[in-house]
Amino acid sequence: MLDQWILIGVLAAATYMSRIIGVELMAGRELSPTLRLYFNYVPVAIISALIVKQILVPADEQLFISIPVLIGCIAAAITIKISKSFLPSLVIGIIIGLLIRYFLI
Amino acid sequence: MIIKTGFIEALPLAIAIAAYGLSYGVMADQASFSLVTAVAMSVLVFSGSVQMVAVAMVAAGAGMASVLVTAVLLNLRNLLYGAALAEGITPAGKWRWLLAMGVSDEPFVLGSARFKKYGPDPLYFAAVVGTFYIAWILAALLGSLIGNQVDPQKWGLDLAFPVTFAALLIPSLTDKPVIATALAAITIAIGLEYFLPGNEFTIIITGVVAPLVGLYLSRRALRC
Repeated sequence: MLDQWILIGVLAAATYMSRIIGVELMAGRELSPTLRLYFNYVPVAIISALIVKQILVPADEQLFISIPVLIGCIAAAITIKISKSFLPSLVIGIIIGLLIRYFLI
Repeated sequence: MIIKTGFIEALPLAIAIAAYGLSYGVMADQASFSLVTAVAMSVLVFSGSVQMVAVAMVAAGAGMASVLVTAVLLNLRNLLYGAALAEGITPAGKWRWLLAMGVSDEPFVLGSARFKKYGPDPLYFAAVVGTFYIAWILAALLGSLIGNQVDPQKWGLDLAFPVTFAALLIPSLTDKPVIATALAAITIAIGLEYFLPGNEFTIIITGVVAPLVGLYLSRRALRC
């Protein structure tokens, strides 16, 4: 029980440190134009990596492509491109992903 | 008004986060965490990946040192998120130390999209993080209480993360350097996952390297 509390404390401290260090390093600092441009591209890179991580599922040291996730993402991408509205795109993406999961695979 | 916007935009992801929180609660219960310690971990750590991995490792008999090392690796990408979000949350003054609790995947994705469009907006970030925080804690409580198998996949809740990310990514692909960054990121991430399936470095390495492609292309365009 005590071990669990120590573990929680250690994990909480380590996680908070990782969060505040980046913020404090950059807080109130005037970014150089190059660095600003660089950070401009970071979200796109991270979001792309997160999507890839969700589509490629590791199992037994091998990679599998999750077809429902892939098709759901494509459906949401096409919907937002056409409709420009966020929530309907999510709903359509999730429903199509679910339909693929239950009826095609 | 801003708080309402943050809440509404966070809601779909909050439901998915709650589904994972539920699985976390169940796993923590099975790894013999009590209701109090399971919920305390969600309150104090507030990190899906760290908590899931920690309880899974504890259940498998891992020691504290190896759990900590894994957590530090999982947390590396927060350094990048924090640095990228700093400008958007710094106007909050000292409150940024509290807002920093929200530096993680989903708030980063929503926050950076908002800051890019409207400039710094700590209140929006607070609303998003607050929504996720409440969802995460209540779900851990519920999961720990019911303590039996819950399958988020069955309800398609696992689809909410990638689908939301896709819906956020597409509208931001407006010029060549951004598109090149996304393509580079997809290539790098697939490469890393191919050679080291399920490793902890894919996101941080991709997040650091792929923007260099966009930077290079936009600087070259400026010079021409």
